[in-house]
Amino acid sequence: MKLWWIGTGILLATCWVHAQNPDSARTDAGYTPVLSGSMGYIHNVNGGITSLEPQVETVLLVPFGSHVLLESRAEFFGFFQRENQTTGPFTGKVFKSVDYAQVDWLANTHVIASAGAFLLPFGLYNERLAPLWIRNLQDTPITDNVGTRPNGVGDGVMLRGNAYETPAYSIQYSAYFSARSNINQLEASRLAGGDASIFLKGARLEVGQSFQHLLQEHEINSSGTYVSWQPEKLPLDLKAEFDRSFYGEGYWIESAYKLSQVNVAPAFFSRVQLVPRVQQFHPLNGGGNSLPTKDTQRFDIGVNYYFRDNLRLVSSYGRQFRQQANANIWNAGITYRFVWPLWPGRK
Amino acid sequence: MSRSTLRALWIAALPLLLFPILLCARDGGTNPKPTAATNAQSEGERLFAVNCGRCHQPPMSISPRTTGTIVMHMRVRARLSRKDEQALLKFLAP
Repeated sequence: MKLWWIGTGILLATCWVHAQNPDSARTDAGYTPVLSGSMGYIHNVNGGITSLEPQVETVLLVPFGSHVLLESRAEFFGFFQRENQTTGPFTGKVFKSVDYAQVDWLANTHVIASAGAFLLPFGLYNERLAPLWIRNLQDTPITDNVGTRPNGVGDGVMLRGNAYETPAYSIQYSAYFSARSNINQLEASRLAGGDASIFLKGARLEVGQSFQHLLQEHEINSSGTYVSWQPEKLPLDLKAEFDRSFYGEGYWIESAYKLSQVNVAPAFFSRVQLVPRVQQFHPLNGGGNSLPTKDTQRFDIGVNYYFRDNLRLVSSYGRQFRQQANANIWNAGITYRFVWPLWPGRK
Repeated sequence: MSRSTLRALWIAALPLLLFPILLCARDGGTNPKPTAATNAQSEGERLFAVNCGRCHQPPMSISPRTTGTIVMHMRVRARLSRKDEQALLKFLAP
């Protein structure tokens, strides 16, 4: 109850601040509803078993003025395998899910209030890197299930924003509470958590920390520490994260390097991206809960080719080391990102 | 692999990550302080390159009619300030 009073106070305070801060600059930017998202097809071979995975992710954005935004993402994911895993015709089905559906109120620099089913801001991956067209490697990191159970979504309220900013750095935060829900497509756990990060603008370096406390069953804590760096002088994107929960701990380090500095055939090599990733996981208390139950190490190397910024070929080879479960993992496919206005307007 | 080995590897990896960052920062990678000559367009261009690249390849173009909506969405995701949002809008749809 006390939390509600505090939350109401913050919201009323932001109302007042917003009233003091009207739009100072006018531009020709349009605020039409948008259907965005991505589609793709991934051919996966894991330990000799082939899977065909067509996917479509649609993101609906409906603005109400320049301060309220309704946003939602739905996913259609096909999964087809041979009847006897390695022989027989391909069979499978298409899964449908609503990844999130939330209303955002962009009150001011410091407070953005979101309500509904929102993506849990834990670590780098779930909220920021998961979309098909963004992820550099198609397989998610092993520790992606830390802090995002059961399906990466919380049902409740979230406050987030830019806490403090100077020309040299900015500090961002998120704080959320989710209620337990068994509603179809909106399953969520009762939990509370937060995330804070500092972004050094000159170095283009972000360091952050996520924390979450589960308020049901085992009442476990989960934490994640992450680093993201895009140096100005190199076409490099380096990301790393260490996660820990009751069920285990592990890390992943991924770098994505575009070969635009190669002097030979620049028209070709500037579109090629190399993506190595290493990760290790150590189970605690028996592991499980969508995490490995045995020590696992994995190495991946991906090669992506960008036809345009929104269309690319993706491919990767990975080797997983786990007791009695070593495996080679191959991925190849294509991804495409689209942005369609849903309302006629100024061109 | 024991927990202590895992932790030691992570601790060993962190300096490897941070060392080039320090080099970059020392090598003039500091943020140029805005001056009176810095116009909103170039500030928006810089913010576009810096903020979009934190998660994905910056798009080559955005239709002006969708710019406001997309930047709102990105402001929520990247927790951008109101000032940065305005600078981005001026750059993308002046």
